[in-house]
Amino acid sequence: MTAPATAETERTTDTPTVDGDGRGAGGRRRFGVLVLALAVVVGLLLGYAGGLLTPRLTRPGDASVEAGFARDMSTHHAQAVGMGLIAFQRATDPEVRQIGVDIATGQQGEMGTMQTWLRSWGLDPTGSQPPMAWMPDGDGLVRNGLMPGMASPEEMAKLRATQGRELDILFLEMMIRHHLGGIHMIDGVLAASAEPDVVRTAQTMKNTQRTDLTNLQAALKRLRG
Amino acid sequence: MSISTPGGDQRRPSVVSTGKKPAADRPAAGGKPGTGKAGSGRPAGAARPAAGGGKGPRKPLAPVKVSQGRAWGPIALFVAVGVLAAGIIGYGAWAAFQGSKPWEERASGIDGIVNYRKTEPKMVEGGNHVSGSINYPVKPPVAGPHNAAWQNCMGDVYDAPIANEHAVHSLEHGTVWITYRPGLPADQVAKLTEKVQGKEKMMLSPFEGLDKAISLQAWGFQLKVDNADDSRIDEFIRTLRVNASIEGPNANCEQGITATGTTPRNLGEQMPAQQ
Repeated sequence: MTAPATAETERTTDTPTVDGDGRGAGGRRRFGVLVLALAVVVGLLLGYAGGLLTPRLTRPGDASVEAGFARDMSTHHAQAVGMGLIAFQRATDPEVRQIGVDIATGQQGEMGTMQTWLRSWGLDPTGSQPPMAWMPDGDGLVRNGLMPGMASPEEMAKLRATQGRELDILFLEMMIRHHLGGIHMIDGVLAASAEPDVVRTAQTMKNTQRTDLTNLQAALKRLRG
Repeated sequence: MSISTPGGDQRRPSVVSTGKKPAADRPAAGGKPGTGKAGSGRPAGAARPAAGGGKGPRKPLAPVKVSQGRAWGPIALFVAVGVLAAGIIGYGAWAAFQGSKPWEERASGIDGIVNYRKTEPKMVEGGNHVSGSINYPVKPPVAGPHNAAWQNCMGDVYDAPIANEHAVHSLEHGTVWITYRPGLPADQVAKLTEKVQGKEKMMLSPFEGLDKAISLQAWGFQLKVDNADDSRIDEFIRTLRVNASIEGPNANCEQGITATGTTPRNLGEQMPAQQ
């Protein structure tokens, strides 16, 4: 770019006009300033675009582990909420009723957190991947669309139909299985994700479900006692 | 760094590995300055001193002058890097734009979908709880008043018709309700079952008097298709499940009516009737 410019000024110095020299140098300077200003503007725009796009491009995408976990764990949690509400409404043992409502409200809250992630990542609550596809060998764990630890429609129907102490015990057994499957999924996301929010929440979920398991197992032992 | 290193051979693989279009231009453009240009430059250089006449000893200098003329290597590199950068930024902008398209817009892009939110804005405002039978203008219904109890929508697969009054309440909670004409071949029903079972905010049931084989409902939306293999089914589910709920993603689908039958149950009498 500088080469043609110098050639031009050389030519203008050759012509013996008084103001020609000054105008040529001024034009060159103005041109240089213009190019510099343009470069600065383009640089700023690129920087702005980069800053704007980077969080969008680096956030979890539609087929990411994080999105898969958020969607599948929402489904997994939804069933636990249902089971917990059944226990809260109809169990006979006070501790079982208490555990039931604790799990129902706690997991419903976590579902809200996970759904908010999806929304802030610009993703739909429904993915295009089959359940558990985000976990290595995950699809092998799915049985009739049910993720690890989830109860079948028949088992849920049985829980709805069962009464009394039998219901208490059935709920405890089903929820222990549900939590064990849930922890397996949580371990899956903890192994694969570095997204701080996801890791933190998953770790909290795991702690809660482990504590629940201790109490669920103790209650089951007491009731079977 | 990219310009100062003349070792084009070393750089090329690294550019190729980043993918994208410019990589295809690069080796061709990069090849010119190294080999092709030097070769073509020499005869030109040789011709010029010959025309100039008597300056025999100057011959070896000619190639140097030619090579000064235009450094194609850096230019090609600049262009390639520029195209690459523009491509990346352009793709990023496009992806961000596509991703930010609201679900409503994507829904109206589904071929054949009926959007009652546009045609019947009053109907889709929200539903009062009404007991007893309700006559719905659209069948299967897509919105409107409904029973206080919802149909259980935890991926439930019902093998007999269910009550509209409960189903509409499930739609309000963000459910996609798939209905099919009774007598639909078993393999078609199996394909629909696979899309529904185990997934909350989904339910499936036969529906009497459908004018097409399959009809999908979400709150305010309907899509009728002839075949369970139709790709618009998945598109409808992906776009509208939960999104179409007017109560947000935390509405419950458990604790609903699990019994079939088209007569709505009142809240008080639902429990014994569920078995």
